[in-house]
Amino acid sequence: MKRQISVFSISILLLLSLPVYAGAPLDAVQSNVNKVLEVLRDPKLKAASAKEIKKKMLLPIYERMFDGVELSRRSLARHWNAMNAAQRQEFVPLFRKVLEKAYIDKILAYTDEKIVFDRENMISGSQAEVQTRIVTSAKEVPITYRVILKGGDWKVYDVVIENVSLVLNYRTQFNDILAKNTVEYLLETLRKKVKGQ
Amino acid sequence: MKLYSIPLLLFVFLTLGCAHGSHLASSRTPTAVSLQPELITVGSGEEEALPKSPSILVESESESAGSNRTNDNDVNLDYVEEEGEKKKAGIADPLEPFNRAMYHFNDKLYFWVLKPVAQGYKKVVPETARVSVRNFFSNLAAPVRFVNCFLQANFSGAMTEAGRFLVNTIWGIGGFLDPASSKDIKLSKQDEDFGQTLGVYGLGQGFYINWPIFGPSSPRDTAGMVGDLFLHPFSYLNIAGDNSVGVRAYEKVNDNSLSIGDYESLKEAAIDPYVAIRDAYVQSRLKKVNAGRIKTTPVSTGEPNYAPGSGKVPEN
Repeated sequence: MKRQISVFSISILLLLSLPVYAGAPLDAVQSNVNKVLEVLRDPKLKAASAKEIKKKMLLPIYERMFDGVELSRRSLARHWNAMNAAQRQEFVPLFRKVLEKAYIDKILAYTDEKIVFDRENMISGSQAEVQTRIVTSAKEVPITYRVILKGGDWKVYDVVIENVSLVLNYRTQFNDILAKNTVEYLLETLRKKVKGQ
Repeated sequence: MKLYSIPLLLFVFLTLGCAHGSHLASSRTPTAVSLQPELITVGSGEEEALPKSPSILVESESESAGSNRTNDNDVNLDYVEEEGEKKKAGIADPLEPFNRAMYHFNDKLYFWVLKPVAQGYKKVVPETARVSVRNFFSNLAAPVRFVNCFLQANFSGAMTEAGRFLVNTIWGIGGFLDPASSKDIKLSKQDEDFGQTLGVYGLGQGFYINWPIFGPSSPRDTAGMVGDLFLHPFSYLNIAGDNSVGVRAYEKVNDNSLSIGDYESLKEAAIDPYVAIRDAYVQSRLKKVNAGRIKTTPVSTGEPNYAPGSGKVPEN
């Protein structure tokens, strides 16, 4: 009986202490998201004219949070392997700018949405998923960040929103374009998209 | 004794249902307009960045100490496929010319009709009221979700839906409020439909159809949509009378008013919006069907979503 109790209490202890050791990916995402929220909530930057300043402040946070190369590599998949170094070097910042142009206004329009960090799942030793939710008065949007361990930091390489992975969505589009066209054509399309908006 | 056992059983069922709290109450119909929330919020992940030339970017990367060199090496690394990745492929699209034409039709329909109507409605009706209206319609459709949970042998899900219907109809004033989703009760909506049920039993999507007005679908999900129509109370009760199309249209306007801007940002972010929407539809449906399969299989890992790279993704 005594032994049973001790086994039980030890396993409870182990269960309780597990999340403490497994929290690195979630903490990394959470600290970066909080830094973004700090900028967005800053009362000194409330004026409409502060938009450019906010953008400038968000850039280094993004660099720390996301792995732009990994994002590009996974979005292009096998087409990445067919690209030469120069094309890859051009693609990575171009792709980032496409995303930025599309989403920056949405991010700056942030008001008082609550962001809940639910849990993390380890995919492998160096990859994990962090599940979060954005809660507004009208709806709740589940967002999963996929992170990879690189040089001691957990960096985001994919974002899954309501079951749709950003990387897979772009991969389908790039596959579709590159099935009929050259890499140069894709780069030109992206250049135009970045300039044209 | 029997008298006691019935409420006890009900309690047990409801508690089992609670275990499915991780399933989110995001009501999503497979139309182009409602697929958007995903991508917008991708945005909140992409927070950052200034318009910069590539050369400036390289500078900013070298600023973060030591990351420059690793980055250069990183660019030179090839892409290596993850396990089970091939299975995540897309959907056949033999009707692409028709589908693309319908995409343009739906796009114009949204910008010329649906959006202005939703915007006008939004100006007149406060958000709390619109959320209540959405809850009300969602509560009416509870039988659809209940039966589909049941058909998928997801009994705890079925009990959750039954519990939700009871709680929301009685304490939620006929379904206008959603107390069942609150922290104390934690019965979250089970987003199941007949298309998913067919998928859980192994029926594939077939190919892509982009319907005018209804948006992205497939032969399977179209059959599912028709099947669900038979389960919807509107088809039986005379609440709506001959105006059921009008009531459905109102439901849609109300939904749209809560998601204005979603479609716009998806379109903005896409290189080819038609392909982006098709893929978002395929991904979202596949994941829901897989989640249903996992719930149904007795060897559940308690993991609602498959882990990428686990190779366990059944082809759809």
